[in-house]
Amino acid sequence: MKKRGLVIVVLVILGVILGVIVVDFLNNRPDRRGRNPYALEVDQYRKVDPSLVRYRETRNFDLGLLIAADMTLYNNHLYVAGNSLLVKISLDGTPMDMIEILPGATSVEVDDQQVIIGFRNRMASYDHRGTLLHQWAVPGDSTWITNLALKADKIFVADAGNRRIIIYNRDGEQTGEFEGKSESESGHGFIVPSPNFDLAVNSFGELWVVNPGKHALENYTEDGRLRGFWDKAGFDIEGFLGCCNPARIAVMKDGSFITSEKGMVRIKIYDPSGKLISVVAPPELFEGGSGKAPEVCVDDQGVVYALDFDRDRVRVFEPIDN
Amino acid sequence: MMKRTSGNILYLLLFLFLLTGAEAMAQQRFPKPEFESGYVQPDPTTPEPRSMELEYVDVLVLLLVLSLASWLAVRRRSRRGLLWLSIFSLVYFGFYRNGCICSIGAIQNVALSIFDSGYAISLTALLFFILPLFFALFFGRTFCAAACPLGVIQDLLVIHPVSIPSWIRKTLGFIPVIYLGLAVLMAATGSDFIICRYDPFIGIFRMDGPFLMIFLGVTFLLLGMFFARPYCRVFCPYGVLLGWMSRFSKWHLTITPSECIQCKLCKDSCPFDAIEMPAEQTYRTPEVARKNLHRFILYVVLIPVLVVFGGWVGAKSHIFLSRVHPDVYLAELMISRPELKNDVDNVDIQAFLESGETFEQLVERATMIRNRFKKGSMILGGFIGLVLGITLMNQVVFRNREVYEPHRGNCFSCGRCMDYCPVEKR
Amino acid sequence: MEKKDKGYNRRDFINNGIRLALGATVAGTAAFTLSRSATGKDYVWQIDPFKCTQCGRCATECVRSESAVKCVHAFDLCGYCDVCSGYLKPGAKLETGAENQLCPTAAIQRKYIEEPYFEYIIDEELCIGCGKCVKGCSAFGNGSLHLQIRHDLCLNCNQCSIAASCPSDAISRVPADEPYLIKGDFTKGEEKG
Repeated sequence: MKKRGLVIVVLVILGVILGVIVVDFLNNRPDRRGRNPYALEVDQYRKVDPSLVRYRETRNFDLGLLIAADMTLYNNHLYVAGNSLLVKISLDGTPMDMIEILPGATSVEVDDQQVIIGFRNRMASYDHRGTLLHQWAVPGDSTWITNLALKADKIFVADAGNRRIIIYNRDGEQTGEFEGKSESESGHGFIVPSPNFDLAVNSFGELWVVNPGKHALENYTEDGRLRGFWDKAGFDIEGFLGCCNPARIAVMKDGSFITSEKGMVRIKIYDPSGKLISVVAPPELFEGGSGKAPEVCVDDQGVVYALDFDRDRVRVFEPIDN
Repeated sequence: MMKRTSGNILYLLLFLFLLTGAEAMAQQRFPKPEFESGYVQPDPTTPEPRSMELEYVDVLVLLLVLSLASWLAVRRRSRRGLLWLSIFSLVYFGFYRNGCICSIGAIQNVALSIFDSGYAISLTALLFFILPLFFALFFGRTFCAAACPLGVIQDLLVIHPVSIPSWIRKTLGFIPVIYLGLAVLMAATGSDFIICRYDPFIGIFRMDGPFLMIFLGVTFLLLGMFFARPYCRVFCPYGVLLGWMSRFSKWHLTITPSECIQCKLCKDSCPFDAIEMPAEQTYRTPEVARKNLHRFILYVVLIPVLVVFGGWVGAKSHIFLSRVHPDVYLAELMISRPELKNDVDNVDIQAFLESGETFEQLVERATMIRNRFKKGSMILGGFIGLVLGITLMNQVVFRNREVYEPHRGNCFSCGRCMDYCPVEKR
Repeated sequence: MEKKDKGYNRRDFINNGIRLALGATVAGTAAFTLSRSATGKDYVWQIDPFKCTQCGRCATECVRSESAVKCVHAFDLCGYCDVCSGYLKPGAKLETGAENQLCPTAAIQRKYIEEPYFEYIIDEELCIGCGKCVKGCSAFGNGSLHLQIRHDLCLNCNQCSIAASCPSDAISRVPADEPYLIKGDFTKGEEKG
């Protein structure tokens, strides 16, 4: 019968529809969806030639409930600023002392004379006992202090918001300011696209400032004249990648630089002329984090202390002896 | 201030300071470069979504269409009027509004908002859900006749409908009940909106869509040439609700305007097999009546058994059903195949690892969802058992019918049969 | 005859009762739903840029063949860098040739403003919403590029099919009067409707 045939056809088609829906439904699952065809492939840059890595993470210690903002190393102790505290920690991670500071610190430096704390747009100095000596506002609407460096009676303040270095004396009086601009070919001044702007004074008394937009380290006189620079841009291990790198630096006894990069986090050592010497920590050690650059400090033995903001831990990297 | 203390006390103090010194860590925007060339920074464009007022226009149009359709079906008895009205609805709700929001999908919004207090249902969705039900309660399924774009697009393509044997129809008619139950379960647990995912015609309304959507749509339409309104009869979960309402409707479309003269002209006019014949004499013999009574009692007794059995089956299948929820599936997957954590191409697992949530949190959440599924599946099973029982019971309910009448639950109020009736309005 | 009438009356009575019950159920459901979330507000789908992990599904999962998701540029956050990690392929030379561009459809236009700043503009006609540039920009740059659902394209489906397969739950409904979550104005973890 013709009609009966049609009914069967109808039922078969209905069955097919039902089957297609059920199969599609069951197939749309996390293990059967396939890879991202638009993935950004950077894995080749994550892998670092093992022969370049001459450091090993030997230990790390947590900071309890402190939400750390910055760290510095002075007289064989680490000083970590965060919340409204500055905590002094021995190099093996034992908390020793602490002082109460104003809340909202972004940066800290300590030397024989004072403890200097930078805030978003303020500065404060304390003595080693925790007594507030001076505090002063740093002028400017878009002031955004990221880091400090100390030399004799000078305080160098890196203001990322206004792309300038301001110089104060120990009483909080401004004695100078420069934006790194000059007439020379590389003289646009500091290019700071994000709040990553570091500086350091090395053991020879030279002031080095990162120009993050140019992936450069620049050496300035104290009155703001550019004396020399080197730059390295690139995804390779030899270069600084992305925007605003190196985000943080530290200087070794011999004038070499420890650089810390954000994005694809890596810590490396360059000689004073900008030649890559070795890798302290390859990106794989920082995987799964936010990509914030760790603060780095180095002691006289060349041991690198990295403040990992994602894990809120100080991670200690020691040179591998050959 | 500075004194030597042991580490533990230091951290305790530190905790106290944390409570007082914590500052909002809101990410503020960083000053952009100061441009010297007079460059003016553009703003990202933000095209506005469709305005709220237009949504209310949709509700108003629905209300008008339903009123007009009810009047045309019940009072005016105009097949032609219904046809033109249905074409208007197809154009407006289908092609102009792209088939969204629709009453069928609104079931899920209502279900989700009942079970998830965090979900805010829009008034439009709620009204789209409520209005056709109320109209069905008073005038029959006039929504299906002239307001539902999914129904209309199929209705217009009915070419050579074949009559399907009653037992097959009744068996197939059970699929929408299961679909409804599943859809509510999936929506209530926040797993998925399956009605929307497998809405077959939305791709046609938009004239754009993924392959599967278009394929299903075209297949349904082709099938609909011979098996009229296949989606409405074999899938539509909203039709189940409308059917229940319509069964007890105050007024309903009738085939004849006054007295049926048993001319049998309308007998084959319904493409949906929704016309019920007058009961044959054999049903009236006391023997049959007694037999039916016995069966009726048996089924009534059977209903609780079916409900309990359904609930048991539901509870048994909750683990399988709960895998529909992405979190449950992901948690199970990561337990059964831990090596997938290292598979950089598994987007879902990588995204989870990036999210910062711990595995324990995921498992805890998945367990909670699964528990909700346990309850939900049990109710779903019981519900299906109940509907099955009532359907069986209805098989033997004897109704003394002497005339040709539309089956109130199944009739779409399309009005075709009215055209065949030779009786003049008195 | 009388008996028959009685029968009909009984049936009518039952029908009326059931109708009342059904009507009350529907009305009750509506009332409960309204009391749960009495909102005259309308909602639209939007991506939380801080939850987005740039999995690429926005380009493929939208029900429209032209995805309603596009990259938007929050210029407020842009560093106007010369070397832009959202614009250039990793390791590519600083040249604007298509082979050096990260975008698979070359939808990002680079415009020189002044030394040393460059402006990057998204050509929405070309953008497919894959988020590759977003990945580059947020992983290595300021994160000013990010994905948003464009409401001139979005059909506001009852169930967003991208949201259904979004691995990071980044897509949710937001009030229609604030239909965009543009970075800068919108900050991480901000409470939303």
